[in-house]
Amino acid sequence: MSTITAALGSDRARRLRAALTGLLAAAAAVGAPFYFAPFQVFQLTMVLLYAVALAGLNLLVGFGGQISLGHGAFFAAGAYTAAVMLDRYDTGHLATLPVAAAGCFVLGLGFGVPALRLRGLYLALVTLSFAVFLPPLLKRLQSVTGGSMGLTVDKLEPPAWSGLAEDQWMYFAVLAVTAVVLLLARNLLRSRVGRALLAVRDNESAAEVMGVRLSLHKTLAFAWSAMFAGVAGCLYTWVIGFVSPDSFSFVLSITLLAGLVVGGLASLYGPLLGAAFVMYVPSVSQDVSEAAPGVVFGLLIIAVMFAAPTGLAGLPGRVRGALARRATRAATLDRTPGAPSAPGANPKSLAEPGPAAVLTPAEPAAVDADPVGAPPRTEKE
Amino acid sequence: MSEPTTDRTEATPGAEPDFLTVRGLHAGYGQARVLQGLDFRVARGEVCAILGPNGAGKTTTLRALCGMVRGRGSVTLNGTELLGRSPEQTARIGVAHVPEGRGTFNDLTVEENLRVGAHLRTGPRRRGRAERAAVAADLERIHDYFPRLRQRSRQAAGSLSGGEQQMLAIGRALMLRPSLLLLDEPSLGLAPLVTRELFEIIRAVNEEEGTTVVVVEQNAQLALGIAHRAHVLEAGRLVLSGPAAQIREDGQVAEVYLGVSVRSRKAG
Amino acid sequence: MNAVTDFLRQVVEGLGSGAVYASLALALVLIHRFTGIVNLAQGELAMLSTYVAWQLVASGMPFWLALPVTLVVSFAGGMLVERIVIRPVQGAPELTVVIVTVGLFIFVNAMAGLIWSFTVKDFPQPFPDGGIEMAGVRVDWSTLGIIGVVAVVMGLLYLLFQHTSVGLVMRAVACNPSSARLSGIRVGRVLMLGWGLAATVGALSGVLVAPVLFLEPNMMGGVLIYAFAAATLGGFDSPVGAVVGGLFVGVAETLTGAYVDVIGADLKVGVPLVIILAVLLVRPQGLFGRAAVERA
Repeated sequence: MSTITAALGSDRARRLRAALTGLLAAAAAVGAPFYFAPFQVFQLTMVLLYAVALAGLNLLVGFGGQISLGHGAFFAAGAYTAAVMLDRYDTGHLATLPVAAAGCFVLGLGFGVPALRLRGLYLALVTLSFAVFLPPLLKRLQSVTGGSMGLTVDKLEPPAWSGLAEDQWMYFAVLAVTAVVLLLARNLLRSRVGRALLAVRDNESAAEVMGVRLSLHKTLAFAWSAMFAGVAGCLYTWVIGFVSPDSFSFVLSITLLAGLVVGGLASLYGPLLGAAFVMYVPSVSQDVSEAAPGVVFGLLIIAVMFAAPTGLAGLPGRVRGALARRATRAATLDRTPGAPSAPGANPKSLAEPGPAAVLTPAEPAAVDADPVGAPPRTEKE
Repeated sequence: MSEPTTDRTEATPGAEPDFLTVRGLHAGYGQARVLQGLDFRVARGEVCAILGPNGAGKTTTLRALCGMVRGRGSVTLNGTELLGRSPEQTARIGVAHVPEGRGTFNDLTVEENLRVGAHLRTGPRRRGRAERAAVAADLERIHDYFPRLRQRSRQAAGSLSGGEQQMLAIGRALMLRPSLLLLDEPSLGLAPLVTRELFEIIRAVNEEEGTTVVVVEQNAQLALGIAHRAHVLEAGRLVLSGPAAQIREDGQVAEVYLGVSVRSRKAG
Repeated sequence: MNAVTDFLRQVVEGLGSGAVYASLALALVLIHRFTGIVNLAQGELAMLSTYVAWQLVASGMPFWLALPVTLVVSFAGGMLVERIVIRPVQGAPELTVVIVTVGLFIFVNAMAGLIWSFTVKDFPQPFPDGGIEMAGVRVDWSTLGIIGVVAVVMGLLYLLFQHTSVGLVMRAVACNPSSARLSGIRVGRVLMLGWGLAATVGALSGVLVAPVLFLEPNMMGGVLIYAFAAATLGGFDSPVGAVVGGLFVGVAETLTGAYVDVIGADLKVGVPLVIILAVLLVRPQGLFGRAAVERA
């Protein structure tokens, strides 16, 4: 919590800097479609819509500490909602967005009910099974979904007054939705809901004792998260104009999780970086081989979990932290480590931790928490 | 009041050989420095009690000796340095640690628990008839110490009572044929009668096997009843050391142990 | 053919696919007992093993020689995976370890595609065509063979765990790693052994199912879901439960596909989803699992 307040800091200079950065980013985002070629603008559009899905997944995994291997299914649900509305009822694009969002929110609530009884592990199994089950179901419901042929619908067309090309118009539409959604995610996290989620993630039983309504927040987290994925799916239909069961195999779910992990869990802009990965890694490495994106993604995920569990978005902070630690270590080494410290130390505060606390360390995860008695480490870690 | 305690330590240097020697032992968890430099020696065949209030560092001392917690300083067992070794390595050197909360294998039967204790001798490379006979003899010996375990041989360890689990944990440790037995709060959570029975067995084991024992206890009277020497720990330092009988009669123990002694803490 | 014998034939067929699910579920349960996580990459490791077997057979080795060689290779591979991929995150939060297995999933899948391409390969059927008539029910040799091979391996595993000192040590580590350490057990090595065994058992499921499903990198995705259902039903702590759960899921799947028209062959993959949800809502620890300490 203190980091959030620190980030909000009343420091005026920092605010100014943040405002400037934001302004620059906004200018770049608005200018991009006029600078890049249509195909590149299309890719940027895809990055934005993946970022929406990843921001939703981030709510669940990064902040909620639960794991979903089925967000591709919610993505598909949103995409099909939009496609069916456009195909059968000709509702116009804008109307599909709230329906896809609400539909996926409700679907998420339905999945949140088991989530409140289950550990993260089982949620992963349930969501993965759902993701595997959905494509054949879509094929079966042929009369509505078009079966394995899929549905082709109108893309988002630019109105004449805008004077924009199709790719530019789609980019701006998706940019607008993405901006709203990312702001929503940010505010959600800073609200009571978000703080409750963090408390639940960091220490479930303690949070429960403190009166956080565990089941409610876990369910809501899942519902919000599913809604974001659904919105992204809806945007996908707007942009691609075609849905088919095979576009939403469970590989999509896994790719989304991979992108989030690489981009950075529990970070506000991690989803944007992750979305860029989901978009560009395949398009770049596919030239090498059909399998290359998987190889790269697989290795990256493992490497990120080994070396930098906060992902790309966390790298600057980690580097800063490492430098700071180095500095303090250099300082403490000047003091004689063997010299006994002041005798006034209160023995009660040094209560011996229980066995659980003792058996976890010594593994890499606890590298920072070096027992004090250990010989001073002179080598690099 | 604290000066005489150091004098006493100096006054009774081990006439016996130094079996376990602890010098300048520091240890802790993360930022918490628990042990602030311990020095003590335990002679072979001795029962040594470590007493002190909660959080004094008693458990940490045992964990540092067996390698569960990293320590700094020096701990030698019969001349072999123990610090820097993992629990599985110290176990192979002959240190058997019975942790707080017993740590039995609850899914395994009582007999299987004991056999795990002997696994170092029945490993893949040594399965001769002689070894198997030796293990069987050891089982018999342990059943003699703990007749209750014999009755419950085929029962799952998880179904035993607290006292029986503690006996099983000690029995398993003895199957290692340790030269040093570390007992962490063996009386924890046990009824007084069971506790007394247990301590009698520990005394018997020490007398008959000659196993050196370091026992950490909250219940000072019990521990002093079977110990040859005792050390009182407070805030990670030894504040009192000496023959158990002497410490038992010293009124200061009550003060220090109950944590009401302001004087000794100031001097500490 | 009358309705009863047809039904029985479906049941036997279900037991055949159930045996496959059982062996992958057993692999999942073994790892769960040793590491406390669900190895999401278990199916992919099995798929990789199956490619090894295919490569050996394609280079001229007879199947019944290629199988043991494959199992040995898988054992070594499983140990390597534990040492290289899992050991560094031992003790990290569950989420971290699970994500690492997702990474392994993607990596192994892609590597198989890279080496052997994504085109479907024919896998030799090791059992003779035809079958026998038992009590009026016709049973294929292939079904019997699968059940037989899995039964033999299960029996060997049982002997290993219950009647050898290595098995005893492994059970001790699964039960209480810190006490095992204090007894001088080299826990790291035992964990490697556990992963090796799991990979071996999992490999069996891949090799046995490949003649039916045809070999391709995504072959095990569906089987993994069934194995999840089997392990959930039996209880993630119980090897016996995994076997019983696997057989049950296999029979349930076959019968549903055959008799429930709405489901049919294409939606059978919904069966494990329903089973998982039902078990979790009614009896989360599974049939044979202990009422575990609720962590949620």
